[in-house]
Amino acid sequence: MKAFRIIEPGVQTTIQDLGRWGLMRYGIPTAGAMDQRSLVMGNLLVRNPDKAAALETTLQGLKLQALTRVAISITGADLDPWLNDQPAPQWAAFTMREGDVLHFKRRKKGLRTYVTMRGGIDVPEVLGSRATYVRGRIGAILRAGEILSIGPSEFEAAENVLAVPQEYRPDFNRTDPIQVLMGPQDDCYTPRGIATFLNSTYRISPQSDRQAFRTEGPEIEIAKGPGIISDPIPPGAIQVPGDGKPIVLLRDAQVTGGYAKIAIVARVEMDFLGQMMPGDTIRFQRIDRETALGLLRQEAGRLDEVRKLLK
Amino acid sequence: MEQRYPVIRAVAEGSILVEYEEEVSLEVNRKARQLAYGLEQGSFPGLEEVVLTYRSVMVYFDPFRVDGETVRDFIGQVNANLVEIELPPPRLFRVPTAYGSIHGPDLDRVAQHTGLAPDEVIQLFSAQAYPVYFLGFICSLAYLGGVPEALHVPRLATPRPSVPVGSVGFAGPQANILPVETPSGFNYIGRTFVAVYDPREFPPTLIRPGDYVQCPDVSEEEARLAGQKGLGEFVESFQDH
Repeated sequence: MKAFRIIEPGVQTTIQDLGRWGLMRYGIPTAGAMDQRSLVMGNLLVRNPDKAAALETTLQGLKLQALTRVAISITGADLDPWLNDQPAPQWAAFTMREGDVLHFKRRKKGLRTYVTMRGGIDVPEVLGSRATYVRGRIGAILRAGEILSIGPSEFEAAENVLAVPQEYRPDFNRTDPIQVLMGPQDDCYTPRGIATFLNSTYRISPQSDRQAFRTEGPEIEIAKGPGIISDPIPPGAIQVPGDGKPIVLLRDAQVTGGYAKIAIVARVEMDFLGQMMPGDTIRFQRIDRETALGLLRQEAGRLDEVRKLLK
Repeated sequence: MEQRYPVIRAVAEGSILVEYEEEVSLEVNRKARQLAYGLEQGSFPGLEEVVLTYRSVMVYFDPFRVDGETVRDFIGQVNANLVEIELPPPRLFRVPTAYGSIHGPDLDRVAQHTGLAPDEVIQLFSAQAYPVYFLGFICSLAYLGGVPEALHVPRLATPRPSVPVGSVGFAGPQANILPVETPSGFNYIGRTFVAVYDPREFPPTLIRPGDYVQCPDVSEEEARLAGQKGLGEFVESFQDH
């Protein structure tokens, strides 16, 4: 069913879900929502399965018009959304009527917002997912005039009681360090280099996108390499090439590569990274695998609490 | 102290890296391929996927379904019986390729660097079947090796910002066919119009690690006609040495 027309596509809007998994062995990154926690909460609000596809819009400018009555929610970054001439609800379900216009005016907090709609965005699955992966010729950045369809669902107006309580919404203003697991090639850097990595503040450079953050900051001293025989790149890997500046690889990154990796971002941190933008500063703190697993378990538990609250 | 291989180490929450000898060779790559294949065939609860590269294998698993120690044990068991793991028979993909002119922006550079005539470069390169070490980077890129030494040319000092899909090129001993338009620092001397990557299909490429790829020299017209066919039209069995 046709549900929306894109009036203005904004800085960058793509269709994303939880990504395509199990295909790194075919050289295909997972892609998927950069902030999956916000996407899942959005889907819960409109009673979709976790993996339903939504719009991921970046920074500002997206303007879309409803072509029918549809239950939606806005989660993730605060991009100052307006519904016609009123501020639109965020982290809550609401109903758009035919002709209503939703406009994301300017970024206030975070970087990426999810517009989830009941039924999910209906585009064909490619390799088991609807996630756009531009470099791989899977989907494309949305353009003005495009029509979005949603999947089948019995129409029900949004239940206005449904909102994610404040304490469960991610904190996009946090300034504490990003937790990382050292390795697998941290032996390519000197002890001094490792200390520089763990004690410095890096600034995310403008050359950053869904593939990677490049950073500016103190140079990490290299002991050997940093070229290695190309090997697998896990999501969240931090490469340090010859210039000594960390590159944090994100959800659209290549799956193999020839630079040493000093550390891997703890999985629980990936969603927050998806809300960081050029100019933001970033520090790294090492944790061990047990701690990382504990944090992941804790995060899953919190999401389950939200799941129960929204039932 | 001499390093004993494989080295097995935990990486992130749900990944373990297995590394064989630190070299690019078919002999070492074969061990990695056997391990990857053995793990995939045997599988185990919680296994997500196995990613192969030149000399290493990353085992991705769900840390809430299986713990790292158990995964290590599985890896150890498969590795202990590596020699018994029979890989699928190799195949040869012969992908018709148009060389030179607009399709080979680096042909002259390669000729200059090697002291060969452009025709000799094409002849030498197209006569060879290149082994596939693994699929990776993006879009199922096949990492080909075994470029003849007479053709060893370094990468471009500055990568080209955009090289067309299907471009055929090499740098040092490595070669590739670009699965999509992308930046690259390799030396491109030709182009095939046969799609080596198609995300609408599963798997997105027919090429497997252990196969061979050759790029026979054909006319522009033949190359374009070949492009109307699928990659599956250009595969034959291959006698491994």
